[in-house]
Amino acid sequence: MLFAVIGVIIGTMTVVGIFTIASAGEARMIDQLEKYGPNLTVIPAISNVDMQLGGLSLGTLSVGENYIAEEKLPQIREIADSEIKEVMGIDDEGDIATIAPKLYINTKVNGTSVMVVGVEPQEEINIKTWWRVSEGEYLNHTDQALLGAFAAELLGLSSGDRIALNGADITVVGILEETGSDEDYQIFVPLETLQKAFDKEGLISSMDIRALCNACPVVMIADDINNSIPGVRAIAVQQVASAEAEMMGRINRFMLALAGITLAVGLFGVGNTMMRSVNERIKDIGIMRAVGASRNQIMKVFIYQAIIIGIVGGVFGYLAGTLLAYALGPVLFGVSSISPVSQYFPLALGIAIGVAVIATVYPAFRAARIKVADSFRSL
Amino acid sequence: MLEVKNITKIYGEGEARVVALSDVSLKVARGDFKAIMGPSGSGKSTLLNIIGGLDRLSSGEVVLEGRRVDSLNENALVDIRRGKIAYVFQQYHLLPSLTALENVLLPLMFGEVRVNIEKALDILRRVGLEKRVGHQPSQLSGGEQQRVAIARALVNDPLLVLADEPTGNMDQRTGREILDLFQQLNEGGRSIIMVTHDPEIARQAKETIVLRDGQIVDRVNQKKGR
Repeated sequence: MLFAVIGVIIGTMTVVGIFTIASAGEARMIDQLEKYGPNLTVIPAISNVDMQLGGLSLGTLSVGENYIAEEKLPQIREIADSEIKEVMGIDDEGDIATIAPKLYINTKVNGTSVMVVGVEPQEEINIKTWWRVSEGEYLNHTDQALLGAFAAELLGLSSGDRIALNGADITVVGILEETGSDEDYQIFVPLETLQKAFDKEGLISSMDIRALCNACPVVMIADDINNSIPGVRAIAVQQVASAEAEMMGRINRFMLALAGITLAVGLFGVGNTMMRSVNERIKDIGIMRAVGASRNQIMKVFIYQAIIIGIVGGVFGYLAGTLLAYALGPVLFGVSSISPVSQYFPLALGIAIGVAVIATVYPAFRAARIKVADSFRSL
Repeated sequence: MLEVKNITKIYGEGEARVVALSDVSLKVARGDFKAIMGPSGSGKSTLLNIIGGLDRLSSGEVVLEGRRVDSLNENALVDIRRGKIAYVFQQYHLLPSLTALENVLLPLMFGEVRVNIEKALDILRRVGLEKRVGHQPSQLSGGEQQRVAIARALVNDPLLVLADEPTGNMDQRTGREILDLFQQLNEGGRSIIMVTHDPEIARQAKETIVLRDGQIVDRVNQKKGR
């Protein structure tokens, strides 16, 4: 009987473990999408054309502008907001999407080449929700700069220091905590300041658009922008995410196949144990028949036993599967934030009882066929 | 009440063909007490099994209360076991994991009737086991186990009790006590058919049927005038 329970536990454990890890992975993905980055990025539509002459490469020719005109921003906002309002059923006026334009300039500060990014301070912090100022404060004046953690270190700057950007006099007001991205090496100044300093008035390099929701129609917004505004290219970040999701899905399918095999093995384990149990109890079954048990009642005796095995196996399988997820999630999938998923408890119970009962149908049927006289004669 | 008409039972085929019973007929009236005697292999137990529906016959008829019961399907046989016929075996055949009381309750549990613990306790009291109701079979002596088996047979109020050498495993004194119990049951109006090879025991019955090689060779009426 113990082996039957263990068989059910192992099968259930595998399924619950995989599901729990998968759900943690999914949660992490959604979390990351929400936290790390915008839903859409709009960049200038530049086409790179390989120039070739009789198999001889003449280099690459870039066609198009390197910048987006700032005046396209209201149009883009209009498209994004109207799509979101339509999908979410919002009627009121006002801005919905956060749109953060940026200008990237590569220049020298204190003799070191560095990327300076012009941003709209308020819009930017709305998108970069993970930004934490470790020293000083966030941008709030035009002549201020915010430094990435490594940029500050490399340039030997701290808040209060002054730097010159193409002649413009700028004060460092804050330094960001490490984010683990390119931002660590960048310097952020207000957009207007940078545009003026480098004669790029009215121009931006890209813009990030963040809708407020997970269900926002980012692909539709991207398509709309691409179709109606020339010179720009909108990319939905979901496209990037979906590649990761597909990979995750493939791993999950593989693991589920594995779980299916484990369940099948469990099925045979339970079936075998039950068959043995029937054979050991031929005499008892004969006695029960002799005192008035019907065939159905004999079957029920074994099916009830299977249900009990299923319940015990399901409870422990759920617990073991959750522990398995804790143990294997970080090792196999780098998913560290595993949490028990209580919705999988009924699932585990259902699978365990199902496996135990299905495995018991044939042994129970055989038990019901035992004849009283035969059962006593065989002794 | 019970009529056995020309029954024959053949095991196996061809070379291995064994005639266990050949053209056996008998009648059991209400309140009757019949003993079936004969050497080993004479067909005593086979006859009892066929009467009780535990085994199928090859030809002939078994009629219980005017109804043929030899060709009933499994479900109908279940109905007969729940109230008309009960068995007592030489090996007691109690479920080892259950207590005496639970073994007696078993037919009621399967019988889809209200499980009446009072009734089971009362019957256990009648067979003298009121102090042993919570014991498992392994904790009981052979005589006590057989009393539990008798109590189990009685709990459904059967018309007919079939007993297959119920005292075969006992010393003389215990066997005597068990036999007295059967006598009381019979006096209470129950019909009994008992297989035995002890002539002493057979003498307690109202009629003794002697089987040899599957055939009835003698019928002895005890004429006790009860």
